[in-house]
Amino acid sequence: MCERERRDDTVSESIIEVEHLTKRYGNATAVDDISFSVSEGSIFSFLGPNGAGKSTTINTLCTILDKTSGRLRVGGHDVDRERDLVRKDIGIVFQESTLDSKLTVEENLEFHCAFYGMPRRNMSESIDFVLDLVGLRDRRNDAVGSLSGGMRRRVEIARGLVHSPKVLFLDEPTAGLDPQTRANVWDYIGRLQQQRDITIFLTTHYMDEAEISSSVAIIDHGKIVASGTPDELKARFTKESLRVTANDTNDMTETLRDSGIRFDRDGYDFKIPVEGSEQAIDLLNKVREDIKCFEVTKGSLNDVFLAVTGREVRE
Amino acid sequence: MDATLAIFRRNMLNFSRDRVRVAASLAMSLLFLFVFSFAMKSSVASQITQPMNYLICGVIIMTVFQQAFNNSTAILDDIANGFMKEILVAPIARREIAIGQVLSSSAIAVAQGLIVLIAGLFMGLNLDALHLLETIGIMLVSGLTFGSIGLFVATVAKGSSAFQILSAMLVMPLTFLSGAYIPTAAMPEFLQPVIYLNPLTYITSAFRFAAMHMEDLSQAQLVQEGVAYDIGGFILTPQLGLLVIVTIGLCFLALCVRKFDCADFSAVRTFRHHH
Repeated sequence: MCERERRDDTVSESIIEVEHLTKRYGNATAVDDISFSVSEGSIFSFLGPNGAGKSTTINTLCTILDKTSGRLRVGGHDVDRERDLVRKDIGIVFQESTLDSKLTVEENLEFHCAFYGMPRRNMSESIDFVLDLVGLRDRRNDAVGSLSGGMRRRVEIARGLVHSPKVLFLDEPTAGLDPQTRANVWDYIGRLQQQRDITIFLTTHYMDEAEISSSVAIIDHGKIVASGTPDELKARFTKESLRVTANDTNDMTETLRDSGIRFDRDGYDFKIPVEGSEQAIDLLNKVREDIKCFEVTKGSLNDVFLAVTGREVRE
Repeated sequence: MDATLAIFRRNMLNFSRDRVRVAASLAMSLLFLFVFSFAMKSSVASQITQPMNYLICGVIIMTVFQQAFNNSTAILDDIANGFMKEILVAPIARREIAIGQVLSSSAIAVAQGLIVLIAGLFMGLNLDALHLLETIGIMLVSGLTFGSIGLFVATVAKGSSAFQILSAMLVMPLTFLSGAYIPTAAMPEFLQPVIYLNPLTYITSAFRFAAMHMEDLSQAQLVQEGVAYDIGGFILTPQLGLLVIVTIGLCFLALCVRKFDCADFSAVRTFRHHH
């Protein structure tokens, strides 16, 4: 019902373009001359620690925060000059709840539709669709105030989608949720991506959650320090490593030392950085008698962040 | 216009869910009615011909302007709990938000006033259809004016914790100095300038004038009844007072619209809940 005509020549076009965005609060620079673009229909993740400038960037793109300088376009519309056109094209799930907790789930969605000028006859169909998507159809008459944190977040996601936006912004959609609910939220986001031709712009400081993205930009201290697909970033900034569990730790240690191989040891587990799988096979051959089991692991986005910024993500 | 209507409906719905607030405000009005009825029976109101109706009218209009003001400042709750952000990112003209807020504040306030008015009808207030329409009209003017003032003040304050205390410190004494409960004639001479500068004085007078059928009274009698004021020989009639209120209301409504159109609501982020 909300499928937009999808022309092949526009698929890879940028739906979000940010050029030289800077935002200062007094003397503090929250976002420092950043540029990036997001292609239509992709999942774009903005990664970084709290206070890196993620929310500031999202808030300027969402038209609720004025920038200091730069040029922003969403869906081909200038964020300064065509505010309402931009607003129509986007859905937003803020970091903090923005639901009316006295109203029911359905009422929250209905008012949202009204704010977005949706004709009444289309409302219930759209509301049914998004409530099904987040699995809350049977809770439609419950007051939002009576829902758990995870359910509220799902209501917010449903509400962000009900007016069929071209871009859905998710600012830390899983912050403050327990691990299981976090997994569920990502499940909904994944399903959403499959069911609707929509661009998703998300921020998170949980690096592992960004694995589903088509592309990633890492921001730290207001600057983009690295960007690319998750695989590109891992290939560029991390090394694969071989994890070996030893039968006999003394033998293993001896063999590795004799061969001049660097390793980290944790009990029976040895972690050995390798250039690629080939090198891992050579290594395994050298110590094959002492091996109980092994695996070759790729670097994570967390490792990318560590390599790029020289430290772990601040919590 | 759709958005204005949506905001209006949302505020009405929200209010209807808040039974405690409705009950508390009504209880307050009835308490004032009860307490001050003793004062009105005593010598304080010797020159007033219908002391009980005088009081009932005062409490009705007090309910309207106080509630309109309070309802408008409830926007601070919307800012604090994040809902304001939902409205601000929607493709709605900011002025539609302001107008929707003022309209809902006044509508709720008038509804509350009407409940007190109905109670008043049982206590001796006498209104025919025409006078009822007049009084509703004046209640509406009162609601719109003080709803606009409340919204303006609230958006200027943007949720400072001192705001609630400060507004209570202002609204309460100004209500007393409007003659809503006790005739202004009974108040000391040095307070008279404050009484004349207090907009609540004029809305209270205009309401009494309509609700107590005073069309046929002379100016001197109106002054006697405490609904017109002799300010150094210049007679400020209830009609003129109403005009003052309408003017003040329009000014504040314009200020609200302006404030909403150009205010940088990025300050809304101040209320972010950190996890």
